[in-house]
Amino acid sequence: MATQEATEGPAPAASVPLEVRIGFAHASLQWIADRCGADLIHVKGAALDPTLVPGRGFSDADVLARPQQVRMLLDELRRHDWELINTFAYGSSFEHSATLRHKDFGLLDLHRIYPGTGPTPEQAFDTLWSARTTTVIGGRDCAVPSRAAQAALLLLHAARGGTDPKAANDVEWVWTAAGPDDREQILEWVRRLDAELGFSVITGTLDEHRDDPAYDLWRVASRGGTRMDEWRARVRAARGARTKLAVAARSVLVNVEHLTIVRGRPVSRREVVAEFFERPVRGLREQVTRRAGTALGRAGARHREPVPPATDDR
Amino acid sequence: MSGAFRPGPDAGVTVDGDSGTVYVARLPGGPLLVLEGAAAVIWAEATAAPAAGWLSRVAAAVGHAEDVIAADVEDFVADLRARQLLVPVDGDDQVDGADAPQ
Repeated sequence: MATQEATEGPAPAASVPLEVRIGFAHASLQWIADRCGADLIHVKGAALDPTLVPGRGFSDADVLARPQQVRMLLDELRRHDWELINTFAYGSSFEHSATLRHKDFGLLDLHRIYPGTGPTPEQAFDTLWSARTTTVIGGRDCAVPSRAAQAALLLLHAARGGTDPKAANDVEWVWTAAGPDDREQILEWVRRLDAELGFSVITGTLDEHRDDPAYDLWRVASRGGTRMDEWRARVRAARGARTKLAVAARSVLVNVEHLTIVRGRPVSRREVVAEFFERPVRGLREQVTRRAGTALGRAGARHREPVPPATDDR
Repeated sequence: MSGAFRPGPDAGVTVDGDSGTVYVARLPGGPLLVLEGAAAVIWAEATAAPAAGWLSRVAAAVGHAEDVIAADVEDFVADLRARQLLVPVDGDDQVDGADAPQ
């Protein structure tokens, strides 16, 4: 019987654990990067040091690319059956990653920036790259940040998670329960990555950074807000008048890619037009609801935030 | 010391430590294959050192005589090789344990 199984040949993947698939997503991108000479740092998920947060689940692959090589990698991924389903501009409010999907390997987030790190995307990548280590994912050697750098990155991610229980669990394991030495190593990475603003969410000192153009981005991400709040924050954080205008223009355009995912099929021209008019109305409705809720809150009534904090951790 | 075979240069492999199931994919685009039961045993022994005697180790694991399973195992390995998921360590085409490269 056992030999008969073998003679039937290898079985195509019918039921493969999601975490195995995601491991192959990392491996696939690493294969592509190796062929085209690109540098990658695999973060979170399958790449995370398992001692940081034992048993932490994941549902996509997160990979940070050397910023100058992102365009080339996107082109190569699409040549190898990876479908682009969300571009940088229409991803999170930090506009940091593009999402791709593969029929066998699932979802991949290709990061051009790791939110909260700097002072420039290129310098942040170089800083992480200079202290990289290697782990095997899906049978391929993949570069990952040092353990303490991984801890700092995970906390920056949790800082955008608001009330997400997974983010709270990450903070509990990586920061709250950490000893003085581990904390000092994490803080050293926060300094090296110029990540004090984002990290201030973890230490409860965000409001000390009100003058920072990106303050509102972190406030909305960590505490929640309406879509209008989010777009205002994006415009405020954008550098230069032209960039601010471009961000503002995007806020009223329809993200056809996202709409396609939400609807589960290609969207028609009529649906795009309908969404175009629906979005400002929705934003206004949320704003009105929020104000009403705030007024009720002042009066002692309980209210729910209309939009939960943004998180890209699917 | 190496096994008789090794994963192909474009193969990605993950082995489930609990079940022994082998997941193997041709990179970068797949497909992703699942090797369970005897198929997983063949992969494990074909890629494990020492190369010599790997077929007899498979026979012992599945409880059949070596000569009974040899043809089926050879077909299976040939399939994996055709998919470039498995390659002989020193280019030797033999899959029989006695003739496999050391």
